[in-house]
Order: sequence, then C-alpha cells, then structure tokens
Amino acid sequence: MAPTYNIAMVSDFFFPQPGGVESHIYQLSTKLRDRGHKVIIITHAYDGRTGVRYLTNGLKVYHVPFLVIYRSASFPTVFSFFPIFRNIILRERIDIVHGHASLSSLCHEAILHARTMGLRTVYTDHSLFGFADSGSIFANKLLKFSLSDVDHVICVSHTCKENTVLRASLDPLMVSVIPNAVVAENFMPLSYPIEPSSSLFGRHPPPARPLGPHDMITIVVISRLFYNKGTDLLTAAIPRILENHPNTRFIIAGDGPKAIDLEQMIEQNVLQDRVEMLGPVRHEQVRDVMVRGHIYLHPSLTEAFGTVIVEAASCGLYVVCTQVGGIPEVLPSHMTVFARPEEDDLVAAAGRAIAAMRANKVRTELFHEQVKSMYSWTNVAMRTERVYNGISGALGEADFYGYDAPAANGAGSLSATRGRSGVQSFALIDRLKRYYGCGIWAGKLFCICVIVDYLIFLVLELWFPREKIDICPDWPRKERKESTAPASG
Amino acid sequence: MALPSGLDQSAIPPDFEKPFPPLVRASTVPALSAIDRPHRSDRLHLAPEDAYGSLSPPRWSTGFDGRGNGAGADLRPSRIQRNDTSRSRSRRRKRFQKLLWVKQSYPDNYTDQATFLEKLQRNPRVRPYDFWPLVADSTVILQHVCSVIIFIVCFVGIFQERVGPVSVVGWGSFASFLGWLLWERWVTQETRGGTADDDARARIMRGGHAYKEFHPPRRQDSSGPGQPLLNTSTGTTPSTSNLASAASSTANLVPEHQPPPLLLPTSGGNNTNNGSGSLLVPAHSRSVSSLNSVASHASATTPTSTQTRPTPEGAGSPTAPPIARGNRTYARVGSIKSAMLIYFTLLGLSPILKSLTRSTSSDSIWSMSFWLLAINIFFFDYSGSRVGIGGGRGGHGHKKTMPVASLSTNAALMASTVLASRLPSTGQVFSLTLFSLEVFGLFPVFRQYARRRSWRYHVALTVLLVLGAGGGMGIILGDETGWQPWKRGLLGMVVGCLVSALAMGGCSWWLIGLQKYKNEIYGPWDPARPIIISRRQWDDE
Repeated sequence: MAPTYNIAMVSDFFFPQPGGVESHIYQLSTKLRDRGHKVIIITHAYDGRTGVRYLTNGLKVYHVPFLVIYRSASFPTVFSFFPIFRNIILRERIDIVHGHASLSSLCHEAILHARTMGLRTVYTDHSLFGFADSGSIFANKLLKFSLSDVDHVICVSHTCKENTVLRASLDPLMVSVIPNAVVAENFMPLSYPIEPSSSLFGRHPPPARPLGPHDMITIVVISRLFYNKGTDLLTAAIPRILENHPNTRFIIAGDGPKAIDLEQMIEQNVLQDRVEMLGPVRHEQVRDVMVRGHIYLHPSLTEAFGTVIVEAASCGLYVVCTQVGGIPEVLPSHMTVFARPEEDDLVAAAGRAIAAMRANKVRTELFHEQVKSMYSWTNVAMRTERVYNGISGALGEADFYGYDAPAANGAGSLSATRGRSGVQSFALIDRLKRYYGCGIWAGKLFCICVIVDYLIFLVLELWFPREKIDICPDWPRKERKESTAPASG
Repeated sequence: MALPSGLDQSAIPPDFEKPFPPLVRASTVPALSAIDRPHRSDRLHLAPEDAYGSLSPPRWSTGFDGRGNGAGADLRPSRIQRNDTSRSRSRRRKRFQKLLWVKQSYPDNYTDQATFLEKLQRNPRVRPYDFWPLVADSTVILQHVCSVIIFIVCFVGIFQERVGPVSVVGWGSFASFLGWLLWERWVTQETRGGTADDDARARIMRGGHAYKEFHPPRRQDSSGPGQPLLNTSTGTTPSTSNLASAASSTANLVPEHQPPPLLLPTSGGNNTNNGSGSLLVPAHSRSVSSLNSVASHASATTPTSTQTRPTPEGAGSPTAPPIARGNRTYARVGSIKSAMLIYFTLLGLSPILKSLTRSTSSDSIWSMSFWLLAINIFFFDYSGSRVGIGGGRGGHGHKKTMPVASLSTNAALMASTVLASRLPSTGQVFSLTLFSLEVFGLFPVFRQYARRRSWRYHVALTVLLVLGAGGGMGIILGDETGWQPWKRGLLGMVVGCLVSALAMGGCSWWLIGLQKYKNEIYGPWDPARPIIISRRQWDDE
C-alpha cells in the first residue's frame, strides 16, 4: 500500500478565473483525490469568492484575502502570508506544499514558509522565460530565491525543464517533466460515436467522409490575440493562404489587442465571407468551435506546452503549428505540420496541410483515440505521486535520483546537505547555505529573508501554539483506484 | 496511407506503477561541451554548466564538480565512454526521446546527457567590435558634446559681456544660412540622382514609411478589383495619425522648420498625379501658423503618397523632375518664411523670457541647466534616424528609434530658455535663444546629413567642433592666468584635441574590453522573432 499524503496546492491562479494553470490545478487535484490523497487548494480571494469553498469531489479551496496587483497576481509581501498559511497548514495537517506558476507570488511565499515549517515542497513551472529583458531577470531572480530550497520541481515539457534548470540553477535530476493533459471526453470529434457499441470497433471509428477536391476546408484558430501568440504572423499569412487555396476559410476565436489588426486585414483584403471572427469563446465552447474545422492553425511564438493543440488533435483536427518552445514535443509528426515562425514557411506549411487533407492522407478520425492514450490526467496524477513518494522518502534515493556506486563516494558530502534518503535537510544552516549561493548580493539578502522568516515562525509558535489550532475533519477519503482501471473522466 | 511511425509507440499502455530500473548517476549528468569550458573561469555569470555546477547551492560542490574537474582535460572521451555504457543498456531499453507523447521507459526526472540543453546557444548574435570603426562611430557623440560645449561657451561669453550678443547670433545665423544652402544643394543633387536610381533615394528616406513605399506589400496588387478604393480609405487614417503624433511630439518650435523641404522630395518624386494636391494644401495650412505647418504638411503629403501605392508604375518610375524642382523652390520660400516668423516671434517673446526666472536664484538655474543639458546629451538620438519623413519617430521603425528622442531637444531648449532668462538685456536674451535654436534644432539635422553625405565632411566638421569647443573653453576658463586670449585658446584647442582623442580611444577600448563579460543565452524557450515580409502600415505598437 503506497502512502497517501495531505497536499496543499498553492497558486494565485484558480477558478473562477479561466486559464490553463487553473484547470491544471483542478484536474490534478481531482485525480489525486481519486488516488486517495487529501488535497486542498490555497489561492487568493476573488470577487465574490472569499473564505472556504468546496468544489466537486470534496475539493476544499481556501480563498485568502490578499492584495491583487496585476492580472490576478498578488502583491509580493514576503512575510505577510505566513500566519494564515501556518494556520491552514496546521488545521489541515498538510505534508506536502505544491506551488504552481512562476508569476504567482503566493506560490513562492508558500514554498518559503513551508520549508521553514519543515514541510516538503514541490513546484510546477508552466511557463517559459527568456534571459534578456528586465522583467525576465526579475522573475528569474525571484524564482531562484524560492527554488533554492525546494524539494522537487515539475515542468510541463522538456524545453520548460531546460529553461527552469537554467533560470534557477537547479540540479536537473530534481526536475521532472510531467506534461499537461486534456480531458479527452470534452474534446470529441463531431462524428465520434458517443457510446462505442463494442470495444472492438470503438477503437477504429469509421473513416469520415472523404474530402472532395472542391469541398470547403475550414482552418480554425483559437488563441488570445496577443503579440506572443503570433497574431502578426497570422495576420500576414491569412490573405496569402486564402489566395493560394480557393475553397478554404478561416474561423478565428479569441480576443485581444491584436484583434483590430485582423479586422483591418479582413477589410483591406475584402475577406469578410472567408474569415469569420467569433470573438472570445468560453472554454466549454472551444470544442464546438474546433469541430467546425478540419485544420487547426497555431502560430504562437512561445509556448511551454500548448494544451490547445492537444485539444485540437483530440477533436480530430490536423494541426499546423510553429516550431517554438515545447510544441515540437507535444504531438507526433503524423498529426502536425511544423513551420518555422516565418510568414513564408507558415503559408507553405498550411499549403502542405491543405494538400494532405485534400488527398485524404491524414486519418484524422483516429486522432481522438491516440490523443486519449497519450495524455490523461490520471497518468499525470500517477507521475506526480511518484514525485511525492520520492521527496518524502517513500521511494528510495537510488530509485528516485539514481545514484550509482562511483557517485556514492562523493555522496558522503552530498548527504550532509541532502539529509536522509534523498530529501533535503531542514536544518536552518543547510537552508542558509543553499540560499547563500544565489548571488553576491542576492544571496545575503535571501539569507536575511530566510532568517526573518524563521524568527516569525518562532514567534508564531509562541503566540499561536499548535495545540490551540483546531484540526479540521477530513472529507471522507476515496479508496485508492488501481492504475489498471481505464481512465475515467 | 501508411500510418506514421508514432502510432505503435503510443499504443503502449501506461504503466507507471512498475518501478523503474535504477538510474546511473553518470548517465544522467549532462555532458559538458568543450566549448563552454573557457567560460567557467569567470564566476560572476551564469553559464549552462553552472546550472548544476558549483554556482548552484553547495550540494554538488564537491561531488560532481570535483569529478568534472578531474576529467576536465578530456571531457569528450569520457563522454563517449559513457555513451558506450549507455548503449549497452539501450538493448534493454528504448532510447530516450525528447518527446512528451511517447511513453518513455525512463523516469520523469531522467536527464538525457545527449539531448539536454542541446539547443542552447550562447552569444549567437554577438558581433565583435573593431577598434577603428568604433572610434569612428563615437565621433557622433563627440560632435554633439562639442556643440553643447560651444553653446555653453557662447552663453558664458555673453553673460560676462566678453562677446557681443549680436556677433554671436550673427555668426551663428550666417553659419546656419551657409549650412542651409549647402544642404539645399545636397538635397537637390540627391533628388536628381534619385530619379535615376532608387537606391540613393531609399537611402535618403531610410527613416520612415517612405522606405516601405518602395517595397509595397506583396499581396497588395492582387487582391481584387475593390482593392484600391479600400486601400486609400484605410491607409490614410493610420498614417495621418502617426504623423500628427510625430509632429506634436516634436512640438518645439524650430527643429521642424527645416523638415518640410525634407518631406517634399518624397512627395514630389513619388506622386506625379497628386502633385498639385500636395502643393495646395500646405499653402493653406502654413499661413495659419508656422508651428502647425509641419504637422499639417506632413499629414497632407503622406496620404497622397499612400494613395499612389496601388499604382506601382507611379512609384516605380517617377518622371517628374520639373515638379520636384517647383516643389523645391516652394520649399525654400516656405523655409525662409517660417524662419522669419520664428525670428519675429522670438523677438517679441524676449522681454518676457528676460524676466521669466527673476525670482529664482542663480544657483538653481545653473544646476537646472546642467541637468537639462545632461539629459540632452544622454537622450540625444545618435542613431541618425531623424532625417526622413516624420522624423522617424512617428511609430514606424519603433525598434530603432528611442522613444524619448524628442525629450533631448526639449530639454536643451528649456536649458537655453532658463539660461537666457539670466541675461540682463533683451537683445542678449534674443540672441542666446536664437542661437540655441540653431545649435540644438538645426545643427543636428545638418550634422546627420553631412555624415550621411560624405565621410570627409563629417571628419572636417568634427575637427572644427573639437577645435572650437576646446578653444572656447580655453578662453573662458583660463582668465586668471593673465595670458593672451589667443594663447589660451590655442592651449585649449590642444587640450581639447588630446582629451577627445583619449576619450574616444579609451572608451572604445573599454567597450571592447567589456565584451568578454557578455553572456547571452538563447534557446528554444525564447519567444521566436517572427519574420513577416508584408508588414502592414498599422502594425506599430
């Protein structure tokens, strides 16, 4: 019987705000609950959402009052979160604190405080950062601070892992790659049989009606219309694609500051009847938009994972995407046509995709089953659980980090800081050593922060003793499902 | 058709419960590339191997790094050796692939030493500087600093009543007039030459969207019959607003009094059809006020040139030197007219300026003008993109121009205003203000043009400026030595030459020396730079 944990997910970003990180946290928490763990979520208060809420499946959400500054990221006050955080952690008897999203200061603070309180911490990085501009430099320094003393880091793609390892100077072995997933049931193709009559034929749905040479091919674009989503490329490419290929049309969903460019392009080229702009769509409606098309075009300039192309493939769309960030890792080559982030190449790639669709070379009706077998949240939860096992010592150090005999010679000094069985030592002096290496000035500053945090911890222990804090009763835990069971929902 | 290769792998059921075979530490440590080794010496900067090396918290400081240093001499062989061991294992296991959809037979935190960070690039776009070109480029800064010094020298001269204000402004105006004549000749020559070859003209109009007219968007002419109509209607709006904002952002009085002639060759060279239209509109607007003339002029001419875009033959083969010449005369008259207008405006304003800061103490004025002139020097647009339509600040080419380029001119004019308000008589105030307009408004335009025109002019101008600044400083500083002024001036010139040569050489050498600290990291995580050929007009942000 594998151990079960009490896990606190901490992030600034959670429902009711829509977005990728939010749904990642929700899905992962739900699946972890299905596996018998206890999961709570700590986020800041949203409009109309304060206090403690329960979501489906007994998922408990703490909305902590916090000052929100920009795009629902809270104001970084290094210590002010500590009292209420400690209270929640003690009430819920949390073992593992799992923070999400690098722009969430709540997450970084929680990792710092959790280490001070002697808890295991995991951090999941969802985004990519460069190294050049000032905003990135600041974010990287902040990340280095909080990740100096984290037990394990999860990244959503290999590119993201490389980036995080570089940004926070981490040991690559303590960074795992666990991708996002999709709820395949929410992204079914149009012609997909709702209830497969028999499992034998369910895996091979009948081929869709073949496209004739003069049938209309619809290209779908669903993205927020920002610069880094490649809307400029899209604006430049659409007239050329439409000109080269008669009987094609575009459906564009999403909103953003670049929408005006697209509209001007449509007007200037008189493409009103061939480009349809839907405006913003809710996440539930994404599937309904996607199934109207044959090809999904994703012109993004940077992307850590690109959940939307997995969703599109799951809907049975052939995917044309730019080869940036983690996107090349996400889908197999028979589902995608890659383009360089250049106007010419994007037009050419779209041309190849249209030609392949017209020649009926692409078995898009098989995509759904394939995507379903590639990405599922149950799988993600299992892999995350392995990380939890590794950091809490249930999984041996050799199993988790993989040391062999020659490295064991040096491991005598390693284990001084690493503590028993591959987990990092909680001793204050070891933590200070880790922070001190962050930089000439930053290292000292971080050390001061850690010491102050420790002092606050001591004061809180005296002021609000642990015994006075009520233990809250748990929601009935689920029986652990066996992994051989099929992925359900 | 043949199903691609990925299918069979994706069909493997997920079994993550079964324990992975234990990892070998050596196989999970990424290989250090031999190229990166020399950079390990400077500890101040992040290098990719520092990610798991000794810069990171001390957990690996002895374990891995010591071993790495021991094998430091021959890293490649050791890596190959490790690969051999892993190859023997690969018979049992599938090779690691850097893919997410494949069910790997490796744990999630496995780090493949062959592929980890393989796309990392360090300093890929670094262009090493050469010494002499760097020195040559730094003359632009030297010129500007020298002209600021000359202005200060003239102020001190007027203030100490060493120099008559009329002589300063007289010589200044005379020089400006000469410069204007010279510049007129160059422009005429270039316009005439430009009818022959497009390249020269493209060089003139490098700054603004005039450049874009020679590379019209590719799909422009082929998008249907309704195209030209729509094009004119949509194309006009953004360009007008751009230019209006450009003109209003540079709303100081005089620097704009010369750009009109600069604008005209474009319109004259391009729009044969609309030449009369562009003749009429400015005539109307310029009579309103000389301040707005540039804005209205620019917004009047450029839309017409936008309209000519759909007819490529109009833009491609402009056969209109007569109209261009007519425009030139017209522009000359216009320039003189606005110069006169500014002259008389200043004359009227001088008594007000004289008493502007009477209640402020002189110390505040000195420090304020110092800071303003420092702002002028630091924020000056040395890139030379100002020559062109709309001053190049209208939003296009926004990556090249500084957003605060107009701040520089404004600061300088404000400095001259507060300095002039210290002067006792109206004539002095008037002369200093007019002189400052010439130095800070007109002279930079002339300097940039001269530099673009010919390298020899540029060098000659630099030498003249250095000599003038040095001599002037010598004259006003060495007062108590009791030497003859010409001796002091000569000494000042010598010292000025030495100092500027030392500064230019030293700074260039220093900058080259600093290059070794450059450590840029690029990789697939960086936002891609899209290559868009048919970039549209409104695409500015």
